[in-house]
Amino acid sequence: MTFKDTVSLAFRNLRQAKLRTFLTTLGVAIGIAFLAGMVSFGVGLQDQLVGRFTQSGLFDSITVTTRGLPPVLGGDGRRGRGARGGIVDTDASSSAPRLDDEAVKQLAALPNVAGVFPMLRLPLQLKFGDFSTFTAAGAVPLSASGQGAFQTITHGAFFANDTDDACMLSLDMATRMNADDPKSLIGQGVTLEYAAKTAAGGPSGSPLPSMPGVDLGGLQVRRVEYKCPIVGIVERETGPAFVGVASVSPLMLPLGKARAIYNAQVTNVQSLMRNGAEDRAYPTITVKVSSAKSTQDVEAAIKKLGFSAFSLNDLLQGAKRAFLILDIVLALIGSIALVISSLGIANTMVMSILERTREIGVMKAIGGSDGDVRKIFLIEASAIGVLGGVAGVLLGWVVGRLANFGANIYIVGQGGTAGDLFSMPFWLIASAIGFSVLLSLMAGMYPANRAARLDPIQALRHD
Amino acid sequence: MANLLEIDGLQKHYRMGSSIVRALNGVSLSVRTGEFVGLLGTSGSGKSTLLNLIAGLDSPTGGTLRVSDRDLAKLTRTDLSQHRRKTVGIIFQSFNLVPTMTAHENVALSMMFAGVPRKERDDRAVALLASVGLGGRGSHRPKELSGGEQQRVSIARALANQPSLLLADEPTGNLDSKTTREIMAILKDLNEREGKTIIMVTHDAALASTYANRTVTMLDGVVVSDTAAA
Repeated sequence: MTFKDTVSLAFRNLRQAKLRTFLTTLGVAIGIAFLAGMVSFGVGLQDQLVGRFTQSGLFDSITVTTRGLPPVLGGDGRRGRGARGGIVDTDASSSAPRLDDEAVKQLAALPNVAGVFPMLRLPLQLKFGDFSTFTAAGAVPLSASGQGAFQTITHGAFFANDTDDACMLSLDMATRMNADDPKSLIGQGVTLEYAAKTAAGGPSGSPLPSMPGVDLGGLQVRRVEYKCPIVGIVERETGPAFVGVASVSPLMLPLGKARAIYNAQVTNVQSLMRNGAEDRAYPTITVKVSSAKSTQDVEAAIKKLGFSAFSLNDLLQGAKRAFLILDIVLALIGSIALVISSLGIANTMVMSILERTREIGVMKAIGGSDGDVRKIFLIEASAIGVLGGVAGVLLGWVVGRLANFGANIYIVGQGGTAGDLFSMPFWLIASAIGFSVLLSLMAGMYPANRAARLDPIQALRHD
Repeated sequence: MANLLEIDGLQKHYRMGSSIVRALNGVSLSVRTGEFVGLLGTSGSGKSTLLNLIAGLDSPTGGTLRVSDRDLAKLTRTDLSQHRRKTVGIIFQSFNLVPTMTAHENVALSMMFAGVPRKERDDRAVALLASVGLGGRGSHRPKELSGGEQQRVSIARALANQPSLLLADEPTGNLDSKTTREIMAILKDLNEREGKTIIMVTHDAALASTYANRTVTMLDGVVVSDTAAA
């Protein structure tokens, strides 16, 4: 007997008992819809949270510092390499490599690294007309263009050149400077002020010494002031803004420019003491990984280079594990409904075989083998599984959409952002239908075997 | 030439509670190709049991049963279904058509089990129904057919896979005398014109002597007489 004939015979039998087939299939469909809806909810929640975190750039970035004291405590992060620097070299790990441009190259050469961004925050005085404030300027690499918070520039444009005298402002800062029309700030100049040593080569801009030098025992410190046009205004993203390289600071400078200022700037006594010819090391470097999956490997590789590395990925892994458990629990609850519907299939098949005992006897008498009979009934059962599975996934999807619609109305009403709370990825659809077919096959196994083992003579005598 | 059917010392015992029923108690019988054998006996004589064993619907307890030189006692369940499919065609007293299927589908069903392609199946079913005088009635369900017509469908079905042996178990037991004559004429015709070997179980001695060319009588599980018609 060909497979095609077996299938057509099985479907013929199902059509003979339309109502029973419909009710059984409906039972399976509801079970599958429940299961798929449950898991879909778990997956949707996870996508919402993990997706938002991943977008924030927190989990594919690694913060690199030198071994030993964190940069916050260690000032300018310059330690090691003998005793040249004098008083700062009290750190025990004197062999630890510096976080300088050499380190940037080393890190960039690691596999799965998408970008290396030195992190600089420069304390500066910002002046614009009567407005004056002390702020920390963030250094933004050109490669951050179109990334993270810079996916959309509210007004103006991103930096064109790494060493330009140009700055961007956060929308908050821009609004503080011009509440009515922040857009009009584009193209206007702000004045930035900081303290620098006179001995070393100053910034490439045009320093305007407006303060007499302060003599600190032979060390000259002067105030540097330079004008810098505003090229862009960026809105601060909602959600966590943390170590991500593409995050917004009130004032942002291109990295090259910021680095030049950083080398000249005097922020504390230590920075005053250093050798002017030597570049200062970066306090921290952020390494962006090509995908969050390789964060762990890259982190290990960075540690091998002798740096300290830290990422939030471990926290995300924990969250993902929690979601996996949630998904499993939801799937288990959903499976109970499916087990009940598979009992329905078994019941339907047993009934059907009782009713058709004589027919089974006839089929055997005219040459149907045990295997033929078993196949017919197994295909009947799995057909119910397939139909129920497909209908169930559709039903689950529709219910999920409706629930999502309703939930989003509430969420938006509460001031949240709308999102997909129910997600039905392809693997879920496939495994829901697969699971349905598997369960119905299992449910059909006993009745089908019973039909196959029927004694033809007994069956033919059956009324 | 070897006999189509060769039975020697065939035994079939059933267990009924604590006692054993000896339905067949040493039956020996040979049937040549082309014979029309009437198997006579009262109820309980073992004639139906013998037919079921030849049909491969049941397995013997002892002795040998060879059809076309194959010992059925040694066949597996799957091989027995192969035997029922290809070697024998069975006609029942109560027709045993599948009630939900049309006459055409009933005839085609046995070819489906034999793996005959659909087109050939349909063509042959139409031809077979025409040959038993039911041309044009293929789309009727058993309920819409008279007893005689149902038995004709059942004969067409039995012939579908061109078996070498036709087995009929009281084929006219549920039919009136006029229809009985019609059905017997078809069987006789199959035997005489197409050379089909037929073994027909009946309790009607007159029927057997009229149509069969050999009459075998059984009593209490053994063959008591075996006479060729004049």
